[in-house]
Amino acid sequence: MTGVGVARAGRDSALLAGRQLRVLRLNPGRLIYPLVQPVVLLVLFVSVLGNLALARGAAGGSYRQFLIPGILIQNAALTAPSTGLGLLRDAGSGLADRFRSLPMSRSAVLIGRLAADAVVFAAQAVLLLAVAALLGFRVHSGLPGLVVIVAVAVSFGLALAVISAWFALLIRDAEAAERVLYFPAIALAFVSSAFAPAGDLAGWMQPIARASPVTAAAGLIRSVAGGGPVASPLFHLTLWVLALAVVPGMLAVRRWQSSP
Amino acid sequence: MGNSSTPADPPAIEAAGITKSFGRSGERVAALTGVDLTVRTGTLAALLGPNGAGKTTLVRIIATLTRPDAGRISVLGFDVVAQPARVRARIGLTGQYAGLDEALSGRDNLVLIGRLAGLGRRPARERATELAALFGLTEAIGRLARTYSGGMRRRLDLAASLMTRPALLVLDEPTTGLDPGSRQQLWAVLSTLRAEGTTMLLTTQYLEEADRFADIVHVLNHGRVIASGTAAQLKARMGRAVVEVRLAEPAATAAAARVLTGRLALPPGAVHAEDGTGRLTVTAASRAGVVGEWAGDGTGTLLAAAAALRADGVPVADLSLRQPSLDEAFLALTGGPA
Repeated sequence: MTGVGVARAGRDSALLAGRQLRVLRLNPGRLIYPLVQPVVLLVLFVSVLGNLALARGAAGGSYRQFLIPGILIQNAALTAPSTGLGLLRDAGSGLADRFRSLPMSRSAVLIGRLAADAVVFAAQAVLLLAVAALLGFRVHSGLPGLVVIVAVAVSFGLALAVISAWFALLIRDAEAAERVLYFPAIALAFVSSAFAPAGDLAGWMQPIARASPVTAAAGLIRSVAGGGPVASPLFHLTLWVLALAVVPGMLAVRRWQSSP
Repeated sequence: MGNSSTPADPPAIEAAGITKSFGRSGERVAALTGVDLTVRTGTLAALLGPNGAGKTTLVRIIATLTRPDAGRISVLGFDVVAQPARVRARIGLTGQYAGLDEALSGRDNLVLIGRLAGLGRRPARERATELAALFGLTEAIGRLARTYSGGMRRRLDLAASLMTRPALLVLDEPTTGLDPGSRQQLWAVLSTLRAEGTTMLLTTQYLEEADRFADIVHVLNHGRVIASGTAAQLKARMGRAVVEVRLAEPAATAAAARVLTGRLALPPGAVHAEDGTGRLTVTAASRAGVVGEWAGDGTGTLLAAAAALRADGVPVADLSLRQPSLDEAFLALTGGPA
């Protein structure tokens, strides 16, 4: 891409991110799913499971301290399909033709949406961390630690958002895409160390759980919050984010451009 | 954007041999089977055709949304396949489905689309205000687009395609589904645009619209342009004018029919009469030829019919000549039901 192309992509992405955020401002009902439901889920999970005497020592002593990073990541996973479904909604409306007929950057349609979704993921993480603090979650590394935790949730969420965008555009049918995208988002957290250490899962699950991006992200948050090894989960998560975002992102943009 | 017409200007659209099929190999459906089309700058061209003729496919190819399988097509001098960005910078598209975000206000939509088309923030806002006034949307411009009526939505969509003053405006069935009032409003705006020199290509199913507003009508059928010309030319091509006779005494209908058939030496079927109604129609014998002692065209037929009826003393209340309607021409051209 030329310098002009990059500048144009940046400008158009910013415009489209602004569009998404403005839609949220004018239609606050759309914030219930990414912001209100996660808080409810967090409170429910912690109230039901938080006092179990599991996973002692795994992260600062209590199961609550272990569980909350898992729920943080679970919620990011559950929010990610919205990116793909929103893109698909645009693709199926006259708006897609409008955008394709404009001299605008092709990649901006995806990048702009992701930029706006990054704000939503960040807001979700901040809100969950605030409620988690009330529920007894402690971050020993202070404000820098909190910033890193939000960044981890956002990167994880965006990587899944990109792959959801590609899948949604591959499926093309909005109703089918909804079913196909949400199921793995739900299953992902269970086949990982989100709720229990990988070593405590059923035998066949353990290799999958150890490799899971949820395990990497939740593990990284636990380490940042409670003081543990950071390098290994960070490396693991970085690989996942790159794998899920780069090539699928390019494929999603190509798929968006190619009209039926 | 300069769209002053000099002889050196390339045509707004120039297409030759455009083909396009859809579907998997084996069961491919041909949408376009060799379209040749020229649209000169400064004109309003209508693309007329029955459902499935390929109108939307052709519009999508012109607007760079779909690539043709074969053929060459340039828009304002730029190749649609090789230079799509140049084409996009110069056209406005109003598709069949509104290209709007319903969760944003009318103004948000206009400004967003204007800015994505390259306008700065202030010019985009000013243009949005200007277009809202032109389209009678000033009151509604701050409301969410989802609260708009169908007609308002269509006008907003059209306004969005005009944010950058495109040199060529492409409209796919802009008036389909609108009530007569909204349709008239839309046509008023399109007429203003034409007066300002915007070149337009629009598809329509309404023959009357093509007849009234288009400079040139291209008839598309089975993926090909089967006729091009002004509405008058198409009607003339379809041929014979019709003489309509209304008698002063309905009882004389059958007698009048005999007189006309006999005196004008017309082939059977040229005279239509419904007994007892006093109304007859006479189809001209030919476009330019001579039949017996009179010219076989419309005017000749009219004069000969008047002379014949007078000679036999059949009282005539009204005698008129009409060209075939564009509907009749269209059906004759496309082989549809007469």
